[in-house]
Amino acid sequence: MFNTVEEYLDALKAEMQGSDAALMQDALADAREHLSTALVVAREKNAGLNEVDALKVIVDEYGTPEETASAYQEVERRTSPSLKQTVKSQSWPARFFGVYADVRAWGALLYMLIAFITGVFYFAWAVTGVSVSISFLIFIFGFPIALLFLLSVRGLALLEGRLVEALLGVRMPRRPLFSHQGMKWLDRLKALLTDKATWLMLVYMIVQFALGIVYFVAIVTVLSFSLSLIAIPFVQEFLDQGAIYNNGLRYSFPIWSYPLLILAGFLLWTTFMNIARGIGQLHGRFAKWMLVTE
Amino acid sequence: MSDITLQTKKFQKEMNAGTSSLVLLKVLSRSKEPMYGYQIAKLLEESGPEFPMMKQGTLYPVLRSLEENGLLSSMVEPSVSGPPRRYYKITEDGQAALKDWLEIWKQTKKFVDTILKG
Repeated sequence: MFNTVEEYLDALKAEMQGSDAALMQDALADAREHLSTALVVAREKNAGLNEVDALKVIVDEYGTPEETASAYQEVERRTSPSLKQTVKSQSWPARFFGVYADVRAWGALLYMLIAFITGVFYFAWAVTGVSVSISFLIFIFGFPIALLFLLSVRGLALLEGRLVEALLGVRMPRRPLFSHQGMKWLDRLKALLTDKATWLMLVYMIVQFALGIVYFVAIVTVLSFSLSLIAIPFVQEFLDQGAIYNNGLRYSFPIWSYPLLILAGFLLWTTFMNIARGIGQLHGRFAKWMLVTE
Repeated sequence: MSDITLQTKKFQKEMNAGTSSLVLLKVLSRSKEPMYGYQIAKLLEESGPEFPMMKQGTLYPVLRSLEENGLLSSMVEPSVSGPPRRYYKITEDGQAALKDWLEIWKQTKKFVDTILKG
């Protein structure tokens, strides 16, 4: 039987080994909330209570780790992340051009645009937070500042996870991890500092800056290039101007090349949409690996 | 465990899969205040102590999936003792779904009762 809530959680974790890490994190958060609340209530009713006996009754009502784990897996099978789709086998042209109907591709594009803004913010926040925290550590009030900063990193990681799940369709945690409940704040700071997850999150925030810029530049470049190719015939015909300008002279594309130019622009953008979908999937996996603690 | 009790357990589980969503929606639609998991579990226990239909732990994933589908909304609030609690509230979509679900439940109940009596 279980002597403490932590023991139950460990058993639940073992039971959920192999299922999605984010799902496990949710299940642990729920169990922690319920069992601790039930224990507090039981203690209020009867002060001289034997905790082990009380926990036995509570766990009896809550369900064994095995039952709880299977309930989560059952429900998860029925609700999948919003953008997840059933994989259909299709011929490659259908897959290539079908990208326009694929929400994941549009989601990935949107994510890549947003990553530019969030990336800059994460970077600024991380660099400011780290330098302010470290330099204030010589004062006593540096410690609470460092704690607040590290907690904010956790919060931002959760937020980023929600964004990744909504736009890239990769299952991410829906609950924060509260593993330091009831600790003194200095111990809490120590726990955060020694937790590998905190550092991975910080690294993610910094890497996101570079990735955000690359994504943004790629979108803007390819989009403007594709649109220019498509626009050439219209510019030449309606504005009556050669599309190539060099040394004060204008050159025109011949009329027979118009369909080819439009086709090239369209194909370029379609190819990029396919690449963006792939990048989205890769980034989702990367985010999961960096932000979700096992 | 014998095969029959195993089948019975499975049957119970399948029955609960549908009814628990209905029950949770109803409880939250009746409540004026947002409620957290433990509160809901206690309420269910008090309103039907003679039927311990489901383990309390199975309510949480259902709550979560209802929220995922937009029928409930939730927010986390710190508590005086213990970890923060997630409070659930029914949404407009949830109210609409509940109305339809109740109708389905009435039909199902009538149908099953008729067959069983017959």
